Amino acid sequence: MMRVIIFSWEYPPRIIGKLAEYISALATQLVKNKVETHIVTYHDFLTGAVEEANGVKTVRVTNPVRTHIGVLTWVLTLNQEVERAAANIYYQANKQIDLIDVYDWHFIPAAVTLKNALGIPFVYSVESLEDHRSPAANSPFNMAIKSIEWLGFYEAEKVSVKSDWMRDEIVRIYDVPTEKVKVVLPNTSSWIKEVLELYNAATGGLRNR
Amino acid sequence: MKRTLSVMMLTWEFPPRVIGGISPHVFFLSKSLAKNGVKVYVVTCDFPGAPAHEIIDSVEVYRIDSYRNPAPDFATWVYLMNVNMQKEAAALAGKLADKIDVFHAHDWLVATAGIGLKHIFRKPLLVTMHSTEIGRREGTHTSTEKMIHETEAWFTYEAWKVICCSEYMVSHVKWAFGLPDDKLVMVPNGVNTHIYENVEKQDLKSFRSKFALPEEKIVLFVGRLVYEKGAHVLINAIPKVLGKIDAKFVIVGSGYMKEQLSNIVRSMGLEHKVLFTGFVEDETLLKLQKCADVSVVPSLFEPFGIVALEAMAAKSPVVVSDTGGLSEIVEHDSTGVKVYPNNPDSLAWGITKVLLDENYRNRIRENAYKKVQEKYDWDKIAQQTKRIYEAVLGAYSKSFWA
Repeated sequence: MMRVIIFSWEYPPRIIGKLAEYISALATQLVKNKVETHIVTYHDFLTGAVEEANGVKTVRVTNPVRTHIGVLTWVLTLNQEVERAAANIYYQANKQIDLIDVYDWHFIPAAVTLKNALGIPFVYSVESLEDHRSPAANSPFNMAIKSIEWLGFYEAEKVSVKSDWMRDEIVRIYDVPTEKVKVVLPNTSSWIKEVLELYNAATGGLRNR
Repeated sequence: MKRTLSVMMLTWEFPPRVIGGISPHVFFLSKSLAKNGVKVYVVTCDFPGAPAHEIIDSVEVYRIDSYRNPAPDFATWVYLMNVNMQKEAAALAGKLADKIDVFHAHDWLVATAGIGLKHIFRKPLLVTMHSTEIGRREGTHTSTEKMIHETEAWFTYEAWKVICCSEYMVSHVKWAFGLPDDKLVMVPNGVNTHIYENVEKQDLKSFRSKFALPEEKIVLFVGRLVYEKGAHVLINAIPKVLGKIDAKFVIVGSGYMKEQLSNIVRSMGLEHKVLFTGFVEDETLLKLQKCADVSVVPSLFEPFGIVALEAMAAKSPVVVSDTGGLSEIVEHDSTGVKVYPNNPDSLAWGITKVLLDENYRNRIRENAYKKVQEKYDWDKIAQQTKRIYEAVLGAYSKSFWA
């Protein structure tokens, strides 16, 4: 059975945009398709315990550093808690984690370190890009976020997007090879099948080891 | 332990990258640990011209790309640099396959890398706190200062043991982060006496003449030109000293107060008596310390005070402010002179006393040199550090992580 950890900075009950509901639906479908699914996400206080609902295991971490000077320092210090939570899952699962699926740039540093340390491949699932969120902005702040996105594209086994347009943008902006990017359309009948294909491609058929 | 104990040091500075005292500290500690049979891997920031990987006396040094990510400010740069440091250290530790026994991280500048590596590899993290934000700033006033302080609190919380270089720092760190007594250990900083012995006597005369007239005594200050190092206290003491004895004040180092300090010197009409050298090469610094008739450390906050120790090793008499680690290094009237912190009159008194009394000067010089050899020898410090590693690993072996 395949075992996957999903990193997402929003997940119910913490809903910021559309991502939270999407991850929730995805996790439920993955469990139905016999993928052991762990979610590592952020919450201000619902932390510590592992919540298990419909077979989905969720760990919520918070930031040990309470005062920040910007979203970057907040994100970068939160990554160590994500690493700690993921490492706990890894050791409890007897070091058998097939894949990490990381959403947007926030937890890319954790995914990259875990890959380099423990050899766990990751998929970078792109919801949006800094280039589109802050058009034509090239201050050091924006460039730092872009460099983390770049690191994600460079280190990821596969990149997942929700439209052909986004695939072309990633190829254009970050010079990512087209074949590294897979378009997975939500709201279609083949959606979860395509997600599973993507996961299999990223793990290189590791799941039966 | 059957096989060799191995440690991965994380530090943001390592020679030739020298910003403050952490760089020489990690350099000598690593070399002395290696001499005492510990395998040491150092992961540090890159530096122009320094190789990405080299072996120095069997210490393996890895330099990471530390300016890869653009950063809006220094604190954000630190966390971004840690992303890359952690990634490279993770790849290295992963490749060594369980060969790293302990991660040893120096100051908050590598806090996030150290914390992450601890959990990912499930190995003990040791932390050396060389300084604290709350001490440097006399409190935490801005968001940046609070953020750094909280990062330090988290860092010491995650540490198995927190090492401090003086009893003063032990109590300061205990107070600052509310740590239990048994988590803190004191291991002093070290200094190398033999590097000063190699400085030849005869070329010192011509060297000295570049800095001072033959009739002028040399008063040496070495340190970053920042508020807590107290160079401004020394400058305010100058007229009182010159009233008693002719001297040249040589100020080595750089920092945000440099321009302000040279403006004060100009307005006091003392430009001919004060020389700002900026940052100097190691070789020049050694010779200056050898030439100095008195070395002054007028710090307002000083976790340890390595400059005083270096001066003592160079057999230069020291005048220090009675604060922090300096209070422990120097015994008044025996190994140096202690003066009231932030008090130019007291400092001028101390400098004058040393410069006017040759017998006194020679006595404290000899006593100080003996003390340095007894207590601050790197070999002994490495042995103490190794015993801490072994004790931590002993406790670790009984934990569920082992």
